[in-house]
Amino acid sequence: MEAVGPNPFLFVSAVLFVCGVVCMTTKRNGIGVLMGVELVLNGASLNFVTFSKFTPLGLDGQVFSLFVIVLAAAEAAVALAIALNFYNNHLTIDVDRGDELHG
Amino acid sequence: MNDIGSLVVRLLDETTKTSVGLFAPELVLSGTIVLMLAFRVLPGLNRIPTQWVALLGAFGSFALALCQFDRLVTGEIPPTSFFTGMLMFDQLGTFFRMFLSLFLILTITLTVLTGIPDRDDAADFYTLLIGSTIGMMIMASANHLLMMFMGVEMTSVPSYAMVGFLKGRKKSSEAALKYVVYGAGAAGVMLYGISLLAGLTGTGSMPDMAQRLGMIVSQNAGIGDATVRTILLAGLMVLVGLAFKLSIFPFHFWCPDAFEGAAAEVAGFLSVASKAGAFALLVRFGLSFTSTSAAVSEVGFSFGIGLGVLAAATATFGNLSAYGQTNIKRMLAYSTIAHAGYMLMAVSALLVLAHGKQVGLDTQGEARRCIEGLIYYLFVYLFMNLGAFAIVSLIRNQIFSEEIEDYNGLATQCPVLCFGMLLCVFSLVGLPPMGGFWAKLVIFSAVFKATAVHWVMWGVLGAGAINTVFSLFYYIRILKAMYIKSRPAGARSVRYDLFPGGVFVLLICLPILGLGILPQGFTDKFHNIADALLTQIGR
Repeated sequence: MEAVGPNPFLFVSAVLFVCGVVCMTTKRNGIGVLMGVELVLNGASLNFVTFSKFTPLGLDGQVFSLFVIVLAAAEAAVALAIALNFYNNHLTIDVDRGDELHG
Repeated sequence: MNDIGSLVVRLLDETTKTSVGLFAPELVLSGTIVLMLAFRVLPGLNRIPTQWVALLGAFGSFALALCQFDRLVTGEIPPTSFFTGMLMFDQLGTFFRMFLSLFLILTITLTVLTGIPDRDDAADFYTLLIGSTIGMMIMASANHLLMMFMGVEMTSVPSYAMVGFLKGRKKSSEAALKYVVYGAGAAGVMLYGISLLAGLTGTGSMPDMAQRLGMIVSQNAGIGDATVRTILLAGLMVLVGLAFKLSIFPFHFWCPDAFEGAAAEVAGFLSVASKAGAFALLVRFGLSFTSTSAAVSEVGFSFGIGLGVLAAATATFGNLSAYGQTNIKRMLAYSTIAHAGYMLMAVSALLVLAHGKQVGLDTQGEARRCIEGLIYYLFVYLFMNLGAFAIVSLIRNQIFSEEIEDYNGLATQCPVLCFGMLLCVFSLVGLPPMGGFWAKLVIFSAVFKATAVHWVMWGVLGAGAINTVFSLFYYIRILKAMYIKSRPAGARSVRYDLFPGGVFVLLICLPILGLGILPQGFTDKFHNIADALLTQIGR
């Protein structure tokens, strides 16, 4: 089998990152924005694992991605709780409907 | 097999003998969290008031950090990296840990006085508050890109929850949602930047990064090479995450919304503490571009110039937007943005002086003055901003309003709180003899020195000076409402209470005056911190 270099992996992760950023900036639904964040975090995780195989970063990269998974879970838990709280107060999850704070 | 065995033994040895001892302030705080949560569920113990446990933990952490700092200054413990190079134990980090514990003590005292978390929620609130402080401490002593990200996340995640802590308020939930959406996005971008930076340099350790960068630049065709460009891009992405925490233009949108929706106590905590941690981290990250290679220094230099432009934009934007505000928390939020701009000027001047070409004057000595100014500014800022937010929350408890027009004529009813506000506002503007004056003076003189290296710093200096004058106009509105306007008939009256609110406010506000009248002792201490930091990296 032909050896695969790091580039295909990095390409996939770049695609994930861009999809995530586009998702974050265009979605009006709060949950949709959070999904975009997850895509970005996973893109970074994929980067770490790739670099851990192909560069002197070594096992540090794997540890990085483990920490990222844990932190992403913690962040998602808090973010969803806040989204639920917002829904209870506003009866919608559309971020544009949060318009009481401005100026 | 034998290799691994000896490695484990060595690791255990390092961890138990040095690392755990150096990590003691954070461990005490972590223990406090466990205790608070355990006390709530254990029968009999749940009558112990949570705030006292939290306060005790904060005092313990402060005392330990103070001891460590003393022993560092006397040279009893040499500065070292610990936990296998993850964190750095040096004067800068330990000073900020001390600073943050002190701030934690003051914030907990304030929440006890204003009673913002009610009895049932106290354990949750203090868990979030202390957890976030531990994150800031890790940020301040981070020596590795992983710890940098961990610190930023550990600070942010509890802050999101704290902003949304006021239950059943539409504004509070909206503020928390906006904060979490912006914050998570910025953290994601920062993490992607970290992944590129760690991958391309092949190390996560910040001190090693400069050396590896030097190697990469010399192997490739200078700054125009694709690898080098990607590294620059990655550095910018990391700065996005930090700029978000510092509420630097153009990543400041969350700040006014989050502050208006959150309780004033929480807003005060976020405005000072997360800035302190993030500035320590920014200084470390910026200085990790220090190397003997000219090309790498140039990268650090261009970051310095870029930060200078951002600093000028941030200060200008913050002050211009603050002008039209009617809600005092929102006005103070914009003032926070403006102050972040002034402090960023110090970091910018530091990077320009430390990495720029050597011009006649003693650039490395002046670089030390920059860090000294930054720390002094943060130290004064702790008192003046916490003081302002404390007064806002104490007055809110009596008139149930945070609009500036409802403050009309308060000076006749609560002279102590209004006098505290007077000190805070004069210091925020930067009038002598307040601490804020010296803070601005040290930073502006550092920027002035940096103008000799690059002309852009003239623009930064001009923006700083104009903004200082301009900020007077909106700050003075608070005082005008309090002192000159008369209290309208039928307005809720504020009971004159010297004890305990007034005493607390005086306790916070008088150091502002003290710092302004006798700055020498403090600036000398801060100069030593700066000197130790820059000597350590070989400048």
